[in-house]
Amino acid sequence: MREFVNTTLLEPLTTIGTRILHFLPNLFAAVIILGVGWFLARLLGRGVERLLRMLGIDHLADQLGISAVLTRTGLKPLPSHLAGRMLYWGLVVLTAIAALGALDVKAINQLATSFLNYLPHVLTAAVILIAGMLLSNFVARTALIAAVNANFPAAATAAGLARWGVLLAALAMALEQLGIAQNIVVVGFGITLGGVVLAAAIALGLGAKDLAKEFLERMLSDKPRDRMPDDLKHL
Amino acid sequence: MKQSEPSMLEATLLSLEERTETQIREIAQADILVGIPSFNNSSTIGHVVKAVIAGLAKYFPEYRAVLVNSDGGSTDGTPDVVAKASVDLGVMLITDRQSFLHRIITPYKGMSGKGSAFRTIFEVARRLGVKACAVVDADLRSITPEWIELLLRPVLSGSFDFVAPYYLRHKYDGTITNSIVYPLTRALYGVQIRQPIGGDFGFSGKLAGHYMDQHVWESDVAGFGIDIWMTTEAVASGVRVCQSFLGAKIHNPKDPAADLSAMLAQVVGAIFALMEAHQEVWVPLQGSKPIPMFGFQYEVGVEPVNVNVDHMIASFRQGLVDLRPIWEGMLAAETLQALSATRDMPSHNFHIPDEVWARTVYDCALAFQRSVLNREHLLKAMTPLYLGRTASFVVETQGLTTRETEDRIEQLCKVFEQLKPYLLERWGAVKEA
Repeated sequence: MREFVNTTLLEPLTTIGTRILHFLPNLFAAVIILGVGWFLARLLGRGVERLLRMLGIDHLADQLGISAVLTRTGLKPLPSHLAGRMLYWGLVVLTAIAALGALDVKAINQLATSFLNYLPHVLTAAVILIAGMLLSNFVARTALIAAVNANFPAAATAAGLARWGVLLAALAMALEQLGIAQNIVVVGFGITLGGVVLAAAIALGLGAKDLAKEFLERMLSDKPRDRMPDDLKHL
Repeated sequence: MKQSEPSMLEATLLSLEERTETQIREIAQADILVGIPSFNNSSTIGHVVKAVIAGLAKYFPEYRAVLVNSDGGSTDGTPDVVAKASVDLGVMLITDRQSFLHRIITPYKGMSGKGSAFRTIFEVARRLGVKACAVVDADLRSITPEWIELLLRPVLSGSFDFVAPYYLRHKYDGTITNSIVYPLTRALYGVQIRQPIGGDFGFSGKLAGHYMDQHVWESDVAGFGIDIWMTTEAVASGVRVCQSFLGAKIHNPKDPAADLSAMLAQVVGAIFALMEAHQEVWVPLQGSKPIPMFGFQYEVGVEPVNVNVDHMIASFRQGLVDLRPIWEGMLAAETLQALSATRDMPSHNFHIPDEVWARTVYDCALAFQRSVLNREHLLKAMTPLYLGRTASFVVETQGLTTRETEDRIEQLCKVFEQLKPYLLERWGAVKEA
């Protein structure tokens, strides 16, 4: 009976107890890592936010049109605050992964390793998307001003098309980077772009044939335009 | 104006074509230089060169003179026309013994544009140690030999370092000058130079050296910004400035390949950049003073100019709708509101008041200074604003004589001067921020 109690009841309990005793330091370490990591993330996040504000990054973002892009995408905080929050959450995620690693559980370790391997792709995709948004804003504004100055009636539409063209290209590149349905993205993007170009060509050929003819004639001949701005000499 | 050390000059020499270098070595020294920048001007440059030859022969026979054609790669034979142009001085009743006129025909280096062409002319002037220079546009059809005397004499007499042109022009010729450049330059720098971007100037060799020492040749100054830059630099550096009455200015349109938006951006961009560079000069100044004027003044008929007001108003109104988000960033709320009030005005009553226009220009200068958006975008977004103001000016002055129109421009200039505190208050706020 005593042997039964020892082998059948106490031994598993001892094993579990031993395992728990072995696991406790890991858990303790994970909690410490989490606590310290969270504290550091908070400290660095706020520090970077203040530093960027002092360096005038918000003003610079205004100049570069980044603030306008952020507002358009629904992100209202100042760029400095946004950068601080991004750093904070980035550090929190890394801390969480480190804490999970400290637990030394095989399944969790594999998951964390996979996530860490995937992280560069996520970061690259994020950079591509941000750059795409900024570039689309710049390209759209350039197209809008040029179209208005050329008296193109559908200037806003042209600018919108330019914006979405750049955004779609950036989105396709980001998704490809993330490895999400790579073929579908590339083929889809190709079909969409080809469709837009074909539609534009058909529209121009059928609806604006004379306009295109006049434009080409003007571009290829040395003859001055026979319509406004007439013979105004601005300089 | 500071003179550079000789060693510095050596260090900043602009390289020229080998053939040009050889010619300069052969000529060695000259008293007078007349520069003509060109690009595909074969139809008009012959007349300009003849006027220069006759002017130098008639008025400056005793001086060693050089004619420099700085060409931007013309494909229509412009340099050949310059090389072959000649004048029968007997027909001109010029009998004085002439000094030989050297001709340097050279392509310029650097960015494409009038400014880069001038840079080469300044460099040749500096190397030859000339006393006086003049530059005249290659598209002029009304230039006479007297222009050369009127541009060079004030400098050679030692009284002035910079001679600006004063022309009779059609009331709708030079609309950027009349609506922006003249009023703004006058209000800022306090001198009444009527044609700050006239394109035909006289200046001393010393001032040419000063121009060469500035590192601006990769900016708008390399293009259409060169004229306002030369004038402003002369005024800001404190040299003696005058203007000469040259009669009518009849010329072909500027580089047909350059669109209005690019021209406006280059000229206005240069003015705004100069405002930042010379704020210690213009901020303390109030009002404006006339400058000495040389030449015999007379009335003359000028070529009519056809204007399509409806087209300009349509451009402005499209800007009001499509560029509104951009204009909201550039202009003060009250200014934009006042401009928006013109939306429903019929064409024949279309009117942008002087006060609103002055505030618009000042708001744009402030937006440029604050860099509220990409500067190229800002300057190009001004085109519909400028067209709106030009349309308003045309509607308002349709039945007026040239003299009466000149009075209207004078009125606009006074409004710019009166509203200068508006600019200063905000400029100060910008600097403090």
